[in-house]
Amino acid sequence: MNDAATSLIQTVNWTVLGYVVLLDVAMLVLVAFGARRVLANRRWAGAEGHEQIFASPLTPAVSVIVPAHDEEAGILDTLAATLAQRYPSLEVVMVDDGSKDRTFDLVAQRYALTRVTPRRTADLQVDGEVLSVHRATTGDPLTVIRKTSVGRRSDAVNAALNVARHPLVCMVDGDSLLEPDALLKVARPFVEDPVNVIGTGGVIRTVNGALTDGGAVLEPRLSRRWLVRIQAVEYLRSFLLGRTGWADANALLIISGAFGLFRRDLVVEIGGLDPLSLAEDAELVVSLQEHMRRQGRPHRLVFVPEPVCWTEVPETWEVLGRQRRRWSHGLGQLLWKHKHMIANPRYGTVGLLALPFFLLFELLGPVVEVLGLLSVVLAAAIGVLDPASAGVMIGFALLVGTLLSTTVVAVEEFTFHRYRNGRDLLALLAAGVLENVGYRQVHAWYRLQGLCMALTRRKPVWTAMPRTGFTTAADEAPAAGRPALSGA
Amino acid sequence: MTSLAQAVFIGSLVVTLLVVVLLVAVAVEHGARTRRLARDARRRAELTPLVHALLDGDAGDEAAMTAAPALLDELVLELLPQLRGADRTALQSVLLDRGVVTRAAGDLTARGAARRGRAAVLLGNAASVEHTGALVELLGDRAPEVRNAAARALGKNGDAAAVGPLLAAVTAGQPLPPGVAGMALLDLGVAALPSLRAALDAGFPVAQTLAAELLGLHGDPASTTTLIALVGDDHRDPHARRAAAQALGRIGSPVATAALADVLLGSGHAPLQCAAAEALGRIGDAGGLRALTTGLRCAPTVDVRGACADALALTGDAGHRQLVAHAQLRSATGEAARSALDVLALSRRPARQAAAA
Repeated sequence: MNDAATSLIQTVNWTVLGYVVLLDVAMLVLVAFGARRVLANRRWAGAEGHEQIFASPLTPAVSVIVPAHDEEAGILDTLAATLAQRYPSLEVVMVDDGSKDRTFDLVAQRYALTRVTPRRTADLQVDGEVLSVHRATTGDPLTVIRKTSVGRRSDAVNAALNVARHPLVCMVDGDSLLEPDALLKVARPFVEDPVNVIGTGGVIRTVNGALTDGGAVLEPRLSRRWLVRIQAVEYLRSFLLGRTGWADANALLIISGAFGLFRRDLVVEIGGLDPLSLAEDAELVVSLQEHMRRQGRPHRLVFVPEPVCWTEVPETWEVLGRQRRRWSHGLGQLLWKHKHMIANPRYGTVGLLALPFFLLFELLGPVVEVLGLLSVVLAAAIGVLDPASAGVMIGFALLVGTLLSTTVVAVEEFTFHRYRNGRDLLALLAAGVLENVGYRQVHAWYRLQGLCMALTRRKPVWTAMPRTGFTTAADEAPAAGRPALSGA
Repeated sequence: MTSLAQAVFIGSLVVTLLVVVLLVAVAVEHGARTRRLARDARRRAELTPLVHALLDGDAGDEAAMTAAPALLDELVLELLPQLRGADRTALQSVLLDRGVVTRAAGDLTARGAARRGRAAVLLGNAASVEHTGALVELLGDRAPEVRNAAARALGKNGDAAAVGPLLAAVTAGQPLPPGVAGMALLDLGVAALPSLRAALDAGFPVAQTLAAELLGLHGDPASTTTLIALVGDDHRDPHARRAAAQALGRIGSPVATAALADVLLGSGHAPLQCAAAEALGRIGDAGGLRALTTGLRCAPTVDVRGACADALALTGDAGHRQLVAHAQLRSATGEAARSALDVLALSRRPARQAAAA
């Protein structure tokens, strides 16, 4: 019995180790492909034709949708950055989704809103009650919808889709800042391949700690909090390289809700965003892929590794836990809903490559990792753990993870070079190492909880993240005595 | 330690080595880039007065210009798209004198797509008309980015000889995106008009659509009759008909009112109906009122009703009266009318504020 238990534990240990190494190697391959594409894109820097796209009356107009729930800390900066986009034709539709703070009041005051009758362009289902619709009288192309919240971001986006007028819709989070050319760059694939391109996404970076002014990021900096620094590496790996790699394989599953551009007619055609999904951004992409494949229509989702949307990430473990549980819960919902696509050749690389990867490594990953940790502890407790072998194995797993993070930081330094300060770069490298010790394990625990929520069909509720607002020069000078809320 | 653990240990050493190599590479790159940026900034500061001198027509600096480092070319290429007229010509001749244009022409056949594309962009910025033929050839390049770059360069060159090839490239085996070709054709100006008018009747729907859009943007009254025929023909492509409707709205000739009204009420294609309604609003002819009012009341989709209401708001007092009358209704029609009236009031507000100021 004892031998059988020992054998079982050791088998689990080896399986878990193999799994972790396999995951990191798979990510490394993905990062390598992503890096190849990023470097290829950089060769075209300055010759992409952005000026002509900006000057062209043929460039498709964009409705930017900004759902906001209790975003008083940064909503004015977000709107300022969005309205200041260097783009030939755009409107902004902000949805105040049942905010209990001053979100609406701040916007109403800044843009001198006046109440109007909505001009509906679609009839998507909206569960919350639309209370009123407003327009800016300052000359800004801004529409604001006030509605009651039903606890789901998708409901707010659908309400905005019902009044969005332009052929492309861009979804931007209420705590995010777009760089001035971001929209122009992410819209370029729609100009250059209008028949096939149905959606594009751009790079998301962490804004915590960066110096901003009126919605513009003046100087990218790393936060002093290690939790944020680790997420900065995580975002680089996921957005800059991971999604670029997936897009290259025509298997992009996620375009972030924080910054994604889609053909409006298609989003309306599939009934808007799934009102019950917690991963509504990924759900939209997969639904679009499924819809187009089923109808045999040409489609391509593009990830543009250049345009940058800066977004706030959690600064505490508690908030991070809430966010990651929600993501994992949403992924569980998504894979369950689209289970018929998994390993189904009818859906091409999405069905054969991306969905199985997300099932094996993203959804089930935390199960294996937590199980592995428990089995190591158990093996040590009953005295069957060979410390030398275990040390070597664990060290190898950590080293492969570190190699992955270091590669990501290296690609960032060789290509975009956003962090000019050497200390920030060092911190980024250190965060890449630290990510593997502690953060990764806690993160696995959060994801496991989210998976359990999905398995038990827990009612999906979107919980808002507490916002700290963006750092301005005035915030850095205590003598200035300004309030901490930059948007106020 | 087991043999597997030993193998893993060796693997760990290899991975550690890779991590160290990457760390060193990052450190070296960071340092080198920081120094390079500082050096470039210093040199740019030194070269800027030289560029200004040439822009001022100070020929005495030409020798210094010839001897200047390659960074000068970058500086000039950055400035070029922002300049027009004599200043632009002056900087273009700098590129020519320094052999940059000749080198770029040589790069048009380079192996790397990015190199070919960058060369095309440079030739476009340099408005090098003698390379139009080579750029036209690039419209059939295997790399789509290169085809796009060549099209943009042809637009900037301003050589009317490129009009035909640009239009043809839209329907070629490896097609040029209509948006890219369209912008290039707009850059070429009125020289493109005869070919665009001809494309309305001949060729593929995608070329017809593009031609209609561009003729509308030019506000070309000579194409009105052909556009009316296109918009009213049920057998033609709906996208092309929609573009024709938009073009007629931009041209603004009341001659098109009857055809657009027929399309608004007779077509089952909502985007085409919306375009027809918008065009009727732009034309603002009283003859379109009846069709717009019917569309506001009876159109099956909310967007067509909305477009009719918006158009009525643009057709003066008569349209306004129709909107006020329908705004009382508690239906989608009433909502569309109220929305249009709100927008109208809003659009008049800044004007009132400005007048008061």
